[in-house]
Amino acid sequence: MTGLHDVSHRHEGAATIAKHPVPKGEPILELRGLQKKYGVVEALKPANITFLSGEVHAIVGENGAGKSTLIKLLTGVIRRTSGEVFWCGDAVQLATPNEAISRGINAVHQEVVLCRHLSVAANMFLGDEINKNGLMRKRAMTDAAQAVLNDLGFNLPAAALLSDLTIGQQQLVATARAAMRGTQFLIFDEPTAYLTRQESAQLFRLIRRLQAEGVTIVYISHRMEEVFELADRVSVLRDGTHIGTRKIADTNDAELISMMINRTIEQIYHKETLPIGATIVETRGLSGPGFSDVSLSVRAGEIVGLYGLIGAGRSEFALGLYGRQPLSAGEVFWQGSKVKIRNERDAMDLGIALAPESRRDQGLCLNLPIGLNINLPVFDRLSRGLTINRGREIENADRQINDLKIKTPTRRVLASAMSGGNQQKIVIGKWLSHGAKLFIFDEPTVGVDVGTKAEIYRLFARLLEQGAGIILISSYLPEVYELSDRLHVFRQGKLVASHTYRSASHEEVLTQAIGV
Amino acid sequence: MSVETTTETAPVPKKGMNILFGLTLLGLLLFLWLLLGISTTSFWTSNNISNLLRQGSMTAILAVGQTFVIITAGIDLSVGAVVGFSSVTVAWLLQHGVPLWPAMGITLLVGVAIGAFHAFGIVRMGLPAFIITLATLTSLRGIGLLVTNGSTISISDESFTNFSRADFLGIPSLFWMVIVVAIPAYIFLHLSRWGRYLFAVGSNSEAARLSGVNVNRTIYLAYILSSTCAAFVGLLLASRIGIGNATQAEGWELQAIASSVIGGTSLFGAVGSVHGPLLGAFILATINNGANLLNVNAFVQRIITGVLIIVIVYFDQLRRRGSR
Repeated sequence: MTGLHDVSHRHEGAATIAKHPVPKGEPILELRGLQKKYGVVEALKPANITFLSGEVHAIVGENGAGKSTLIKLLTGVIRRTSGEVFWCGDAVQLATPNEAISRGINAVHQEVVLCRHLSVAANMFLGDEINKNGLMRKRAMTDAAQAVLNDLGFNLPAAALLSDLTIGQQQLVATARAAMRGTQFLIFDEPTAYLTRQESAQLFRLIRRLQAEGVTIVYISHRMEEVFELADRVSVLRDGTHIGTRKIADTNDAELISMMINRTIEQIYHKETLPIGATIVETRGLSGPGFSDVSLSVRAGEIVGLYGLIGAGRSEFALGLYGRQPLSAGEVFWQGSKVKIRNERDAMDLGIALAPESRRDQGLCLNLPIGLNINLPVFDRLSRGLTINRGREIENADRQINDLKIKTPTRRVLASAMSGGNQQKIVIGKWLSHGAKLFIFDEPTVGVDVGTKAEIYRLFARLLEQGAGIILISSYLPEVYELSDRLHVFRQGKLVASHTYRSASHEEVLTQAIGV
Repeated sequence: MSVETTTETAPVPKKGMNILFGLTLLGLLLFLWLLLGISTTSFWTSNNISNLLRQGSMTAILAVGQTFVIITAGIDLSVGAVVGFSSVTVAWLLQHGVPLWPAMGITLLVGVAIGAFHAFGIVRMGLPAFIITLATLTSLRGIGLLVTNGSTISISDESFTNFSRADFLGIPSLFWMVIVVAIPAYIFLHLSRWGRYLFAVGSNSEAARLSGVNVNRTIYLAYILSSTCAAFVGLLLASRIGIGNATQAEGWELQAIASSVIGGTSLFGAVGSVHGPLLGAFILATINNGANLLNVNAFVQRIITGVLIIVIVYFDQLRRRGSR
């Protein structure tokens, strides 16, 4: 088996870094009083954390706890306000991304930040291309990249365009890219947020392998089960404060969660059984781009879960029902009568709301204020004659911000400045102010912390109590499994199985989704 | 190395930031006037000020229309050509005996049609805004030259040509036209829902669409407003020079875009105002006017304008970064 690091040394120009300068188990990176302030806001209060060579060190915390700030400090994206960082015993600045990379510190981000128009191989070698006489050696790079991918067991074509891969596969490419650059210290920022089970398993194998080769791993995640599966030690952040570091053997779920949120969660999956009412919507043989022959119904007071792998047609079905995509066949019945939904407005006017899959691409106008985002679906109602009623505009935005506890000083803050959980709340707030009978939530808790998750689930219960129905789309099985009154499994654009609440095991549902 | 752009900590919002930026521009304008007042004897003459206001007014109106388009993350390169074409249209109609008011009405409608065609190309044919408006830029000049056979059509209607020379309350009528355009534009962009939709489409058209915004209609609206403003400026220009000529207003689209950008509009969309481009236009006009008075070579003037655009927009970038 070829060592990963060897690949990077096959050509000139790769960073040459001494292997294992620090014996396993000794401190490789030490933070002493590391602090970051934005103006008067303390994003990270002085923290003392020691990372040991060759360990998997998990970092957990709610959104806004300071995890991203910490990563950005370590990767040289932002500069610290005060404190010291020791790398292999020497004080270092980590002032620029280049400095961090040249020392062997690398990060794989939650959202893939690669060039979509370039090939997998070109992305893996980006900025570090193999050259001969000033010309790129494309074939050599493709071969080398393929060797790495095969070696990792990823089963991805190195010559394919990145944009032809699923988000999950792109994430694997990003990881392979970091792995082949002589990385000694690799930070994963919620890597599994967009991955399927299989892809996650591949990633975990890779992480264990990198660890065995002596790489120190920092693993940031909201998913407790992953932390317990992978990590040797775990550090907890809350509100910019380092609460503590535990050996994984000495701690448990409950302790970590209480450290993270400073209160106990009686139950994350808050499920209330409510009386089921009349049918709100029914589809018969609905077909469109990416899905075909889907028949299902949603009644008042119930959550209908749609589970499947990414690309199984769940989101496409939701967009079809919402009028975003043209339907090619099938019928939609709304409260008993047949309707035609030609566009998003038709769907909204009927009473359908959609919180789409990607907050960044579909959900939010990121460089506009929170208030404008919340009011976007209802400006026609807030207007009198030609102009918007300013008072009602402000009142409506502030009401959603207060009700949903969106953490912002004012509605004028840009949506891009908010953390994942708060951004999701803005998307939800849009639809609460508009009001609907049927709410479609597509991956509502991706990149959302435990506390906010629980809030979102409680919100579901509130909507159901008010007589609404919910379609919940999720790639995270425990979530759809525990919350859905009825669970439909999608595979390759078709609805392949249906279950009532807890009538099938996890394994059964998973097998149906994968189709083995 | 990739850099994540989202900031974890919310920046403290600065309410007065836009107002402050507007005041900075106003300050710059007044500073320029003061400077020119001191260094030349002829700047603070009523003749020169009227001239300056007339010059700046037409760019200002174009810049306001252009801003609507830029806010949607688009661009309208055709406005200069539309000005020239409209001057030909109105002159040709008057020459063929169409009464003044219908002739002006038809010219404005031609502007509406041109804008609608741009939006059609973008929405239905999927062309980039840059391409479709660049295509009409050259085509409209061609059509105008064909119609006039490469020459000019003079306008004999004196009530039309006198308009641009007239004053009202001591202020040139052309400047009043800026106010006539700016007030409804302000209400539209800052106080109405359609203005909000322009920003939303410029920021993330998919999110806007899924929120029930009619994205296509919004794009039609933006380009129609831009072309109509340009047609209106064409009328003013025809009135000012008394002729219709398809080669007039060469390069005005760049003046309009520059004014808009100096006024704080972001070419990436979703950032812009009405007062910014107005100030931007008059800053540009002042610089040209001042350079003339100081006998600066006309070629050098162009260089100065270019450098100034870089400097102002650079400082704007610094300001934006600083507020993060």
